[in-house]
Amino acid sequence: MTAAPVVPAPARPVRALRVPLTAAGRMLRLELRRNVMPWLLPLTAGLFWFITYRPSMAYPPMWNLRAMTMQGTSLAVLVPTVVGAAAWLGSREGRHGMAELVSGTARPRWFRQLAAWAATTCWAVVAYLGCVGVLYGVTARQAAWGGPLWWPVVVGVASLPAFSALGFVAGALRPSRFTPPLVAVAAFLAFEISAQFIHGDHSYWQVSPLVAGPWEIGPDEGVATFYPYLPDLPIAQVMFLAGLTAALLGALGVPAGAGGRWLRGSAAATAVVGLVVAATAVGLAGTGRLDVHGMIAIPALHDAADDDPIRYSPVCSRTAVPVCLHPAYAGYLPVVVDALEPVLREVAGLPGAPARISQVAATYRQDPGNGVRIGRAGPPVSGTPPVFHLVLPSHLARRTATGDFAAEVRATVGRDLVDAVVGGGRGATPAQQAVADGMLRTSTLPPGSPAAAAARRFAALPAAARHAWLVDHLAALRTGDVTLGQLP
Amino acid sequence: MSRGGARTLPSGSPPGGAARVGLRLAHLHLASRRVPAALAAVAACAVGLRIALLHGHWTAYGARQLPLIFETGCAVVIAATTASPFGEPERATGRWLPFLRLGTALVLTAAAAGALAAAGTGAHLAGGTLDVLRDTAGLTGLGLLCAAALGGPLAWAGPAGYLMVALYALYTQWHGPALTTPWIWPARPPHDVGAAICAGLVFAGGVLLIAVRGARDTVAGS
Amino acid sequence: MNVELIEVTRRFGRTRAVAGVTMEAGPGVLGLLGPNGAGKTSLLRMMATVIPPSSGRIRLLGRDPGGYGQRRQIRRGLGYVPQNLGYYPRFTVVEFVEYFALLKEMPPARVHHAVAAAVERVGLGDKARAKLATLSGGMLRRVGIAQAIVNEPELLLLDEPTAGLDPEQRVAFRALLRDLGQAATVVVSTHLVEDVGAACARVALMDRGRIVFRGTPDELAGRAEGTSAAGDAPLERGYSAVLAEVRS
Repeated sequence: MTAAPVVPAPARPVRALRVPLTAAGRMLRLELRRNVMPWLLPLTAGLFWFITYRPSMAYPPMWNLRAMTMQGTSLAVLVPTVVGAAAWLGSREGRHGMAELVSGTARPRWFRQLAAWAATTCWAVVAYLGCVGVLYGVTARQAAWGGPLWWPVVVGVASLPAFSALGFVAGALRPSRFTPPLVAVAAFLAFEISAQFIHGDHSYWQVSPLVAGPWEIGPDEGVATFYPYLPDLPIAQVMFLAGLTAALLGALGVPAGAGGRWLRGSAAATAVVGLVVAATAVGLAGTGRLDVHGMIAIPALHDAADDDPIRYSPVCSRTAVPVCLHPAYAGYLPVVVDALEPVLREVAGLPGAPARISQVAATYRQDPGNGVRIGRAGPPVSGTPPVFHLVLPSHLARRTATGDFAAEVRATVGRDLVDAVVGGGRGATPAQQAVADGMLRTSTLPPGSPAAAAARRFAALPAAARHAWLVDHLAALRTGDVTLGQLP
Repeated sequence: MSRGGARTLPSGSPPGGAARVGLRLAHLHLASRRVPAALAAVAACAVGLRIALLHGHWTAYGARQLPLIFETGCAVVIAATTASPFGEPERATGRWLPFLRLGTALVLTAAAAGALAAAGTGAHLAGGTLDVLRDTAGLTGLGLLCAAALGGPLAWAGPAGYLMVALYALYTQWHGPALTTPWIWPARPPHDVGAAICAGLVFAGGVLLIAVRGARDTVAGS
Repeated sequence: MNVELIEVTRRFGRTRAVAGVTMEAGPGVLGLLGPNGAGKTSLLRMMATVIPPSSGRIRLLGRDPGGYGQRRQIRRGLGYVPQNLGYYPRFTVVEFVEYFALLKEMPPARVHHAVAAAVERVGLGDKARAKLATLSGGMLRRVGIAQAIVNEPELLLLDEPTAGLDPEQRVAFRALLRDLGQAATVVVSTHLVEDVGAACARVALMDRGRIVFRGTPDELAGRAEGTSAAGDAPLERGYSAVLAEVRS
C-alpha cells in the first residue's frame, strides 16, 4: 500500500474501456461476466438437443410442427435452469455476507438486484435464441414451403424474464441453500401441471407459455398452413408474462431498504400494473375460441385480416388423375399418390369421377367434451370438371413415424373418394357398401353377411369387368336402385 | 478464556459415555447440514404429492411423471444438505466425518422414499412403492455425484436435468419411438432389473463419493 | 464537523449496544478503541448508515441520514470496511472495486481511473486481474480497503482494517490512513493500540456502550501514570488504566 496521492502506473495496466458505458451498462457488464448461467449452458444445450431438437427433427420439415413443438419443450428445458440460477443469484448477497457492505452504498438495492436479474435473463435469452437459431436454421434448409413462425419464439423470449424474476425474487426473499433447488423444481411442476387444467378452448390456463395452440390437438400439420398463425393467444401470453415479470420485479422494490420513497412507490405501482396486466391476459385467454382453422382466436385481440388464406401454388403428381397437395406437404406427395393409385385406377373414367384430387384445409370444431373434431367443409366433390377435395388425416407426422401413413390415407381418403363416386357414406345401401369395399379391397362389413360376400365377389372380378359394370350401373348405384343380388 | 469465578465448561466424558458423545456428534452434524429443514422440505414434497394424487386426474404418462417431479424435489434437497458450512477446518478433523456424511445421506434418502411411498398409500400411485424407492434412490445418487463434482449449492442441476430426460422418456413410452435404456430408469417398469441395477449403481456411487470426499467446497459462480 | 452524534443509543432486543454516545469528529484520523462488546461496531454501523439509531441524533457530512435523499447523499461520500468483509469469490479485484464504485454512484467516466488508483493504493496492482477466491486473507482485507476508498470518501469508517495484514502492510496502511486523514474524517475501530498510536490524531475509548475517554493518544498513555495498569506499551497501559478506573 502506498500513501502517495498520485497513482503510479500499474504493474499490469487495467485495460481501458473501448465503449463508454453508463453506470447501468457497466453494472450489467460486470454481472454478465460473473453470472452463474454460463455454467448451466452446456446442460441447457444438451437438454435442448435431447428433448427439443431430436424429436423436432423426427418430424417432417414443416415450420408449424417444429415451431409449435419447440415452444413447449424448449421452455420446459429452460424453466428449472433459469429459475434455479436466478434464485441462486438472488440469494447471493446473503450467502456471501455482502449485505452489510452493499447496504451502505448510495445506489438503491433495487438497482443492483435488477442488474443481476437482467444479466441472468440476458444469458437465458442468448441460450434460448442460440438453440432456436439452430433448430430454425436446419428447418430453413429442409422446409419445402413457408417461413419461420416467430410468435412461438416471442412467447419463449418473453417467458425467460418471468422465470428469471420468479427465481430471483424467491432467492432474494429467502436466501437459503434449499431455495434454488426447491424453487426450480416447484416452478417446473407448476409449469407442467398448468396444462393439466386446460379443458376446452375457453380455458384460462391457455395463458401458460407451454401452450402453442389448441392443447388437445397439439402440433398438427393442418394448423397455420392454409391460414396464418393466429397471434391472439401468443399476444395474451406475452401480456401475461410481461405482467408477471413486472409484478415480481416490482415486489422486489417494495420492501423497506429497497430504495427511497419515490422508488418504492414506483416499484409498488409497477407491481400493481403488472398484476392488472397479467390478470387481464388470463381473462383474455379465457375468452379464447377454437377457430375453424385450428387456432385459438381471442375476440378482443383478433384481427380479421388473419382469417385470409395464405396464397400458395399446389404441387401436383403427374398421374392420370392429378393429386395436388399444399406445397408444405410436398414431402408427402409420393406416399399419398402411391396410397391412392389403386383407387384412382378404379374410378378413372367413370361418369362423375373426379378429374383432379386437390387438398383443402381441414376444419376444426370444439366438441362439448374436451375433444376437437377435424373434418372437411363442404361436399367432397364439386365443380366442373369435378374436383375431389382431399383432407389428409391429422397428425401425419406421428403416423409417418409408425409407418402406417399409406394405410391410413387409403382407408380414409380412399374411402371418401370411392364413397363420393359410388354414393356411399353414412346412409349407404348394402350394395353401395359392398361395391366400395370391393373397390378398396377392404373388409369393413360384418363377416358372413350377404354384403360382405357380395363385396368379395365384386373384388374378385377382373378390373376391366368391374369397370365395365360400373360404367353401366353407376347412375343406378348412386341413387340406391341396385340391390346386392344385382351385383356381379 | 474465563475469569475467576466465572462458570467453566465441564471437562472429561459426559455421563452416558461414548454412545452419548456419538449421538451428540451426529446431532450437531445434522444441524450443520440443516437436516431438520431438509426433512421439512421432504415432508412438504410428500404432502404435495398426496394432494396432487387425491385431487388430480392423472392418466397415461402423466400418472408416472407426477411422482417423479416430487422425487426430484426430495433428491435436490438431499443434495443441498451436503454443503458444509465449515469447509477445510472440518475436513481436517478425525475419522468420523465420512460416516456422518454417509449416515446423513442414507437417513435422508430413506426418509424421502418412505414419505413419498406413504403419500401414495390409498391413492393411485403409478408404479407403486418399488418405483418410488428406485427413482428416489437413483435421483439422490445423481444429486450426490453432482454435489461431489460441482458443490452442494449447484448439485440440483443434475437431478433437475435428469428429471427432464426422464419425463421425456416416459412420454415416448406412449408416443414412440420409445427410449428404453435402463439408464433412464424412471421410464422402465417397476420390476425391471436392469433399471434397478442402474439406479442402485448411481445411488451407491453417489453415497460412497460423498461419504469419502464430501461435497466440493468451491463455489461455482458468485 | 463531518460526524455529529448526540445521545445516540442502539438496542438489539434487550441488549443496549450503544448507550448515549455524544461525539463530534472533523477531518483527521480518530481511533476507536475498546474491549470486545464495547459497542464499537454498532457505533460504526450507525455512522455507516447501515442501521439506524434507536434514539438520539446523527448528522453525517452535514446531513441527516434519517431521510432517504440525504442518506443517499451521505453514502456517495462514504467509505466503509465492515468487520466481516463479504466478497464474491469469482469477481476479480478490479471488478469488485468497480462494482462498489458504481454502487457509490461515481460518474461512469471517472470509474476506470478511480478503480485503478484505489487498487494501486492498496498495493494490489499486480493482482488486479486475480479472482478474489485466489487471494490470501490479508489481500482480501486490502481489497476491502480499496473499495472503501475508491470514491475518495469524505468519511471513511474502518472496522478492524488491519486484521490479517502483515507488519509491512500495516506500516503502509498507517501511512495511507494518515494521508487520507488530511482531507477526510477517518474513524478506525481497532483492538490494536499500536495502530492508534501510529496513525490517529485523536482517540476515543468505549466500554459497555459508552465513550469513557476521548483525547489524543499521548493523553491516553498519560492516564497510566501513577497506576499499576497492565500493558507492554504506554498506550496499552493507558487503555487498561482507563478501563480499570471506569469499572471500579
